[in-house]
Amino acid sequence: MNFTNSPLYKKIFKDAWSYWTGAILLAILNTAMLAISGKAWGITTTFAYWGAWISKLFGADVSGWDFFQIEANAKALSQSAFTNTGSVQNIGIILGALLATLLASQFKIKKLKSYKQVIAAALGGLLMGYGARIAFGCNIGAFFSGVASMSLHGWIYAVFIFLGAWIGSKLLVRYFMT
Amino acid sequence: MAEYRLDCLGEACPVPLIKTQKKMEQLKVGDTLIVEIDHSCAMKNVPEWARKVGYNVEIEEVDDGEWEIYIEKTK
Repeated sequence: MNFTNSPLYKKIFKDAWSYWTGAILLAILNTAMLAISGKAWGITTTFAYWGAWISKLFGADVSGWDFFQIEANAKALSQSAFTNTGSVQNIGIILGALLATLLASQFKIKKLKSYKQVIAAALGGLLMGYGARIAFGCNIGAFFSGVASMSLHGWIYAVFIFLGAWIGSKLLVRYFMT
Repeated sequence: MAEYRLDCLGEACPVPLIKTQKKMEQLKVGDTLIVEIDHSCAMKNVPEWARKVGYNVEIEEVDDGEWEIYIEKTK
């Protein structure tokens, strides 16, 4: 296919966008998302809903949990993956990322390098998930949306995410790199 | 003027960058290191670091989502 060699195609679909382009687009889209959905952009609260919906499928009753006593969370219990705003947003992110990597023809299923890598990924995922819940948000909900709305919690989160990333990278080099 | 290869396939950020930095220390001036990566974020930070240090860098896309970064130790 010839058009994939054109400089414009390369610039838009192939090469990574600059940090500036990314920042401006994020700012515009974040504002639009807040205006349309009425809620600051977040990602991980929805994962708790996904977990709850799946638990419900297997007959578990989660409606008594503290988390679902909050009105917004209780409302989500009666919704589905396609009627809950946050859920649709997350599906959009996954499909968008897939589309972007396909357009750049950079899709690749990566092989596992070692079991150390599996342990590191699983541990990291669990810690991130747990951390995101006790902090009431991930780096999007608590940091990005927090800072964008000039809330103090976002800035405090920023200090500690750098601290955490620093400690995390030290641990990575010490224990998980051979 | 030796040529070395560093297999970083399957490694996520920041592992390829750290491995590259460590490997480059062992190389002699004039040697070339070929870093094999399949993580697009390493495609950004590895060449960025190497260019900042002042090394010669070339990138080749060898397959879908797979690259080889040629880094020549110039000093």
